[in-house]
Amino acid sequence: MQKKAGPLFYLFLILFVFAIMFPFLWILIAALKPPAELFGERAFSAIIQHPTWENFRLVFTERPFGRYLLNSTIVASLTTLYAITIASFAAYAIAWLKFRGKTIVLGIVLAVSMFPQIATISPIFMFMQSTGLTNSYLGLIIPYTTIALPLAIWNLTVFFRKIPVDLGEAAKVDGATVWQTMVKVFFPLAMPGVFTTAILVFIAAWNEFLFALTINTKEMMKTVPVGIVMFQGQFTIPWGEISAASIIVTVPLIIMVLIFQKRIVSGLTSGAVKE
Amino acid sequence: MNRESRITLSEKQMGYLLIFPALLLILVIAIWPVIRSFWISLHDIRLNDPTKTEIHNAYGLDMERYVNTLPNLLRYLKKEAETAQGPAKDQLLALRQQVEQMNASLNQIGEFAHRYEQIDQLLLQFQPVPAEWKYMELTDEQTETVRKTLENVEAQLREMINGKMLQKPEGAMGVIQGVSSSIIEPNYVGFTYYKQFLTEGRMWAALWNTLFFTVVSVAVELVLGLWIAMLINKQFRGRGLIRAAVLVPWAIPTVISALMWKFLYDGQNGIVAYLFEKTGLIADMGTLLTTKAGAMFSVIFADVWKTTPFMALLLFAGLQTIPHSLYEAAEVDGASKVQQFFRITLPMLKSTILVALLFRTLDAFRVFDLIYALTGGGPANSTETISIYAYKTMFAQMSFGEGSALAVIVFVCVALISIGYIKILGADLISDSSGK
Repeated sequence: MQKKAGPLFYLFLILFVFAIMFPFLWILIAALKPPAELFGERAFSAIIQHPTWENFRLVFTERPFGRYLLNSTIVASLTTLYAITIASFAAYAIAWLKFRGKTIVLGIVLAVSMFPQIATISPIFMFMQSTGLTNSYLGLIIPYTTIALPLAIWNLTVFFRKIPVDLGEAAKVDGATVWQTMVKVFFPLAMPGVFTTAILVFIAAWNEFLFALTINTKEMMKTVPVGIVMFQGQFTIPWGEISAASIIVTVPLIIMVLIFQKRIVSGLTSGAVKE
Repeated sequence: MNRESRITLSEKQMGYLLIFPALLLILVIAIWPVIRSFWISLHDIRLNDPTKTEIHNAYGLDMERYVNTLPNLLRYLKKEAETAQGPAKDQLLALRQQVEQMNASLNQIGEFAHRYEQIDQLLLQFQPVPAEWKYMELTDEQTETVRKTLENVEAQLREMINGKMLQKPEGAMGVIQGVSSSIIEPNYVGFTYYKQFLTEGRMWAALWNTLFFTVVSVAVELVLGLWIAMLINKQFRGRGLIRAAVLVPWAIPTVISALMWKFLYDGQNGIVAYLFEKTGLIADMGTLLTTKAGAMFSVIFADVWKTTPFMALLLFAGLQTIPHSLYEAAEVDGASKVQQFFRITLPMLKSTILVALLFRTLDAFRVFDLIYALTGGGPANSTETISIYAYKTMFAQMSFGEGSALAVIVFVCVALISIGYIKILGADLISDSSGK
């Protein structure tokens, strides 16, 4: 369809990928450096003379980083599970059923997805404090609804609309109820879209910062992003440990992105691009 | 699903039933808090001041504090009266009488006496008092009685201190003010905070920083993203690799990318600062994070790094929907590459660009994580955006009413920006694309 790529083009690609990956590569180097090479003369050298796993060890022994990972995993998984469940029903109805007010519902969903979190934080924080839900998983899962649910409904609706509606009509002619159509015909076809949306919601919940920063302040209840930011002391910044922790978080993400890249891209672009 | 509802539920009813949970959650967890934020912003709420932690529309009494402090006052007056002589003794006894009368008048309010008793028991057993018992609403008259009595007692005690008539003068003011502080004033302040912010330099500076950051970073991201999208809109090997590489900055938590860049920008050990200095872009390595312009540049640069790939991805997807035959026809008609770009690519890409711009603008306008972790709003508030300012007001000064006013300002700006874009986009965005 398009022109063939020349050697100059590949050079450009290599430079482009290098520019994107450079911070990660440098952080990886920093994570493997002993303190003596991290600062001072050898700070700008890409070659490590005495590579060490010390920073990775410190992150787990000197800090509750394992606990942060656990907290983030629990909160993001539960948020994804519950948001996807509720959003699937809503998206199914919007995409496949005939009733009035769909456009309004979608409009509300889209508007809410644009809400700045800062505008909801004060009442939510005061509510969590008065009910004693600060420093709990539920204290984060509840406010994460504001991010996860609109995202899930929007993406699922876009996916579900692509499933041919004739299948549903055929099922109806055969005497299937709405419920049967949904469970037997629709959900099997919808699984790829649901899976893709789940990845996007999981990443959004995993990366959330403002609610996690303000609501879960106890060391044992912090999530990964908040935990890493709080590595910084008042006077010193332990760059070696921050680098190691960043690498630990990034590597699984890179693997996930490599495996699911096609799905993620289709999920990200399907809402914005009309086909 | 049981047999009965199978018969009675029409498709329409089923539709409403299915969207109901989602709508309810959105209403309760997203829309209600925004309205509540606005309501909070009309009140002086401070989480570090026990009498102002909630919205109080009328006068009230902090029962826990009252139960805690009233006996101290009575005991103090009694002890002083025991040791005092002559008229001082009478005066102290009269004061004690007044305080007891005041308490008796409060005892006539509905469940006051009962609640006093319960809280007293809990305090004796060192148990926490439930939050819903603490606050007791008072009428204006009742408040007036309590306030007048306490003011009178305070004034008289002050006189007696001056006249050296008390045994332990140092304790007097503490016990009386302890009781006085249990009166809770209504903390409705109206639009005071909005007026304050509209005339305040720091708010306008924060708004300007936010706008500057938004416009510059989104513009750079759009141009770079479009350029990259057009470059990679070819057939080549390793598309998967590019796609994955592009997704990584998007996928990692913003704060982690901010910390990475903070390390790269570091004035002593940062490689990017070092390279910039060596190539003569900046005078010395410290410039990036310690000067105003340097810090703003650093924040924008980090944001461009994180989101340009995403922008390129969106635009690339848009480019692929343009039929190649259009370009072939233009080629035949002798149109130049530049003409093709402006006559075919841009118009065909318009709605994709607008949607991408809308989401990116809103994201950039509410920027928080990146700046929090990278500069904290410094140096000298030069990168303080309005979200950061709102956060600091709420969680550093604990002034929730004031901070909520700023949050509402962010919300209004975001709403205005969205309305602007949606006017241009039309109903395109939400309409049914597959024509169902």
